[in-house]
Amino acid sequence: MDQVREGGGAVSDLLGTFSDGFARRALLEAVMVGGLCGVVGVHVLLRRLPFFTMALGHATFPGVVLAALLGVNLFLGATLFGAVVVVVVALLGARERVDETSAIGVTLSGAFALGVLLLSAQAGFSRDLAAYLVGSIVTVQRGDLVTTAVAGAAVLGVLAVLHKELVLGAFDRGGLAALGYPVLALDVAMLLLVEVTLVTSIPAVGTILAVALIVAPAAAARLWTERLGATMAVAAGLGIASGVIGLAVSQHWRVAAGATIALVAAGVFAVSLLAAPRHGLLARVRARRQPAAAAGPG
Amino acid sequence: MTELLVEPFRLPYMQRALLEVLLLGALAGVVGVFVVLRRLAFVSDALTHTIFPGVVIAHLLDRSLLLGALAFGVLTAVLLTGITSSSRRVGADAALAILLTSFFSLGVVLVSRTRTYTADLTVFLFGRVLAVDRADLLQTLALAAVVAGTLWALRKELVLRAFDPDGAAAMGYRTAALDLVLNLLIALVVVAAVKAVGTVLVVALIVVPAAAARLLADRVATTAVLACALGALGGWLGLAASYEVSVDHGVRLASGATIVVVLVALFALAAAAAPLRRRRRGPGNPRGVARWIRSARAAAR
Amino acid sequence: MEAEPPVLELRHVAVAYDRVPVVEDVDGTVLAGQSVALIGPNGAGKSTLIKAILGLVPVVRGSVAVLGRPPQASRRQVAYVPQADTLDTEFPVSAFQAVLMGRYPRVGFIRRPGAADRQAAWQALDAVGLAELASARFGILSGGQRQRVLLARAIAQEPRLLLLDEPFNGVDALSQELLLAALRRLRTGGAAVVMATHDLGLAHLACDEVCLLNRHQIGFGPIGTTLTAERLRATYGGQALELRGDGVIVARP
Repeated sequence: MDQVREGGGAVSDLLGTFSDGFARRALLEAVMVGGLCGVVGVHVLLRRLPFFTMALGHATFPGVVLAALLGVNLFLGATLFGAVVVVVVALLGARERVDETSAIGVTLSGAFALGVLLLSAQAGFSRDLAAYLVGSIVTVQRGDLVTTAVAGAAVLGVLAVLHKELVLGAFDRGGLAALGYPVLALDVAMLLLVEVTLVTSIPAVGTILAVALIVAPAAAARLWTERLGATMAVAAGLGIASGVIGLAVSQHWRVAAGATIALVAAGVFAVSLLAAPRHGLLARVRARRQPAAAAGPG
Repeated sequence: MTELLVEPFRLPYMQRALLEVLLLGALAGVVGVFVVLRRLAFVSDALTHTIFPGVVIAHLLDRSLLLGALAFGVLTAVLLTGITSSSRRVGADAALAILLTSFFSLGVVLVSRTRTYTADLTVFLFGRVLAVDRADLLQTLALAAVVAGTLWALRKELVLRAFDPDGAAAMGYRTAALDLVLNLLIALVVVAAVKAVGTVLVVALIVVPAAAARLLADRVATTAVLACALGALGGWLGLAASYEVSVDHGVRLASGATIVVVLVALFALAAAAAPLRRRRRGPGNPRGVARWIRSARAAAR
Repeated sequence: MEAEPPVLELRHVAVAYDRVPVVEDVDGTVLAGQSVALIGPNGAGKSTLIKAILGLVPVVRGSVAVLGRPPQASRRQVAYVPQADTLDTEFPVSAFQAVLMGRYPRVGFIRRPGAADRQAAWQALDAVGLAELASARFGILSGGQRQRVLLARAIAQEPRLLLLDEPFNGVDALSQELLLAALRRLRTGGAAVVMATHDLGLAHLACDEVCLLNRHQIGFGPIGTTLTAERLRATYGGQALELRGDGVIVARP
């Protein structure tokens, strides 16, 4: 009970310091990033892209470093570099003896090491590295907020406009092609949207943990509902909740914010895995006790 | 040229570092052959992230990093084997990603409570090969012996399992057990590499030399020897290069990262050289970006 | 003279995946030297039944007995031949090495295959006509050749029961001949053969018994009397069939 009160106290502390610049910005960033990642995450799961997203996160890292070195806008630099990585992985994986996962593994390692290398060549190595990898939401600036809002709106906008095509393409590429749509272009577009989402999340949670925020709320949402639209809404909600709760908890216990957010998201998933009606583990154990009345194969 | 490759290693700490990376490179290379043949790059990546909190906890409790990494390595190898051999409504990919990031976050959260947060994080993630001491070397040697020994004992069965999982099961082999053994071996390699190159870069040591060797060899045995050699070579060249650049040109280059960059360069060379060796293209696998994007979805098996 | 147990005995077998029944009421006996074709459309349960005979999938009703014992106890005497195109063609093994893999269970862990094992592998490769291509990489062989390699692997296991999953799919005429010849030799040597196939013409050539399946057994018996137009219609649900060979049976929708 005490902990709940503490948690509640933390949230009201946070809300109470609403007028405090950094807390308000951090909260806003957490909300926006959480919602965006939740929605994008549903598509990532549909298309079986978690590993690719992980790799992209790692590979985006040198783009961020390069952009910082060259004084280019971080966002642009990271996105461009990420696009280059997508192409490299695609070309590499198309070769006969390089399977897709190894292609991703090689590119991920190379790009990441490159980023570390570039970064290590300058001072302030550790501090910047940590920020890129695990985020630094409490130092988010107004400019970052604007970027997040614009990028987030753009990604959600494209997802909304292309919704039918992207969903059909995830389930039935052949069908989509038969209808005359440019399937490959849509696939690449999806990958780019994931890339933009990742880059947008870096200031908040860093490259590695952005994957958590993209995958976990969406995976949890899938356990609660069957309908796609509802899944996206629930995922966005869970993402926002993870962001806010994670931020509050991290402020209270004075630990890394990005990591706490990721842990909360994973926690939400774990709870859903156990408790969700029909697809949760408890529900399935209960159904197992009843003979043959259960639903067909998952 | 040979000057550059030998000169740095007159110093004792550089000698120890060299021995460490040669050992690690060879070990990771040979384990990597199975990782690449079984398309387990993601699982290996997951393992490196999940072992991280073990290292942090050991550090905070002032115990041997090796033990912490080992404990979490075994734990997560078991968990991962469980996850990857049953995929349901939550795909194995997604489950792995969540497991990976939550363990990693746990490690970050724990580390962030210390004063030396960012410096510690860097060391755990990227290692400090130049700080390797005799005890570390002996640990690596011991782990290498265990891993190499197990691989040797089970080499036939692991190859069969990689080549024809259905056939292996039909012959009576318990594929889940074989998978667990391999995952444990991968975990041990990660544990061995923690001090020297850190958890993040060890994936490169495992995947890159083996992927390069795969392009050039037509037999498992040859692939393994080549992967070993490439891994060791990358370690040597990388260490020498980072030393030279740091000492002679004043640009501090992280050793671990340099080794990885060298390995990827070797991979690129292998990729360029491979088509020249091919006598005849095998029966049709469709090529092109479309195939990759389609099968990127089936990445985790 | 002692009565030897039949090589394979299926008694009202029902197999389920995830508690959902996939195939039910399979009943029949296979003696040494006999060959049974498992015939049915996709999803009929042929592969699942084969897995149950291998002991890889549990039986929820009835029983499977291989050489009078449960499947797990007779594994050494059973060999399985999967479809060749399920295997990675880029895998770095030679044809000979692939065949030698059939001897691994005998060799056991740690040890290397011995001279006797290598001899068995050579003979098996020879039996399918691939002795010259022994050191070729498995993946560069044609589809039919690869299927022959997999049969050779099974032959090297010296089995009493041979299970094949669609062995003639996409296989060239020469490979077909060699596969049929090798199967005949195995049967003369006393082995029993069970093969899942949808090629009725080849079923006639290779098998003397047939088991018709479509999620449940529609017939099990000598191929001449069991493979009737009516039973085929019941099995395939009225689809048109593609046939080769002398007997032409077309089921109209």
